[in-house]
Amino acid sequence: MSSSQFEAFLARIYVDDDARAAFLADPRTEATKAGLTEHEAESLTKIDRVGLDLFAQSLERKRRHRKQIRQGKGWRLWR
Amino acid sequence: MRRRRLWWRLRWMWIMKSRMLEDRIGLGWRPALAAGILSNLDQIDIVEVIADDFFEASRSQRRALRTLANQTPVTLHGVSLGLASTVAVGPKRLACMARLCDEIAPTSWSEHLAFVRGGGFEIGHLAAPPRTTATLEGALTNLARATSTVGVAPQVENVASLIDPPGSDRDEATWVSEIIRGSDCDLLLDLHNLYANSLNFNFDPVDFIERLPAERIATIHLAGGKWIGAQGERRLLDDHLHDVPDPVYDLLTEVGARVAGSLTVILERDGEFPSIQILLQQLDRARLALARGRERLAVAHPQEVAA
Repeated sequence: MSSSQFEAFLARIYVDDDARAAFLADPRTEATKAGLTEHEAESLTKIDRVGLDLFAQSLERKRRHRKQIRQGKGWRLWR
Repeated sequence: MRRRRLWWRLRWMWIMKSRMLEDRIGLGWRPALAAGILSNLDQIDIVEVIADDFFEASRSQRRALRTLANQTPVTLHGVSLGLASTVAVGPKRLACMARLCDEIAPTSWSEHLAFVRGGGFEIGHLAAPPRTTATLEGALTNLARATSTVGVAPQVENVASLIDPPGSDRDEATWVSEIIRGSDCDLLLDLHNLYANSLNFNFDPVDFIERLPAERIATIHLAGGKWIGAQGERRLLDDHLHDVPDPVYDLLTEVGARVAGSLTVILERDGEFPSIQILLQQLDRARLALARGRERLAVAHPQEVAA
């Protein structure tokens, strides 16, 4: 498995709305375009879509929160 | 015969009691809690400090941390190294951790079994990696590097996840146990992370605990969270903004009943802070839950306790 590429692909669809939308529209094509192996692409066709959506929302909230912290309006949340 | 049994029971209870004195119950350091923590150090055995907050701290901030460490045991907790990855951990971040450990001399340091970046994207949170041989080997390489750089092996923490990690070929208990057994690292078992994952992905958290190498569990995290998502598709988010739920205290009892070694238990709270009195009550509740487990251990496995 090209695992570092796989991790990079996951990181991208977790944080990039456009990449995630394109992936959800056609997981296999996007995975193949990213140079992932057949096995990795296959595993992504079965991705936990509910979890992906909730995780992405949670990350977006954290990004907003961190922006507030940078502006001195709150305390840091990491985990 | 009955008197002899009673004598042995009392003896093991006494040994257990002396061992219980080595268990420590503490609180995560947050600036908002500073005054409350400093004025109640007699009720807080240990303080856990987020290491990354001090990587670029000023000299006076680091001096303040040293002062804290001189008053009470301090453990350092990392959040951004991304050790459970096929990508090598960044040497600069490791050097920062090593410098801080040298300066503070914590009782231990810890990091998460997570990846936090990839391909130039910072996830900004702890992401559960695919549980595969590749990430296992990557984690073991990174842990060896971290141990070598810092001079002491980190304790490693299981993470909560909202998404079932894609590409995994084994379950979490197997993957975590393989990392613990393949490294010098003890386990920081976050019981709310375990509880959340057990509900999100439908497994038995007690069975998970049973499958871990008990002798390698050193520290426990307690926290709370909230349900998110639509009905029928809900997941438990580990947000550290809510009180510890009852089942997590029950899991602490289960751990106390299985781990013969001393345990450090840390309550984590990152916001929506209640009064320090409420947090101290939660520490007392953790002490009680752990003591219940210790009683069970003393009765069920006296030899193990004696060893």
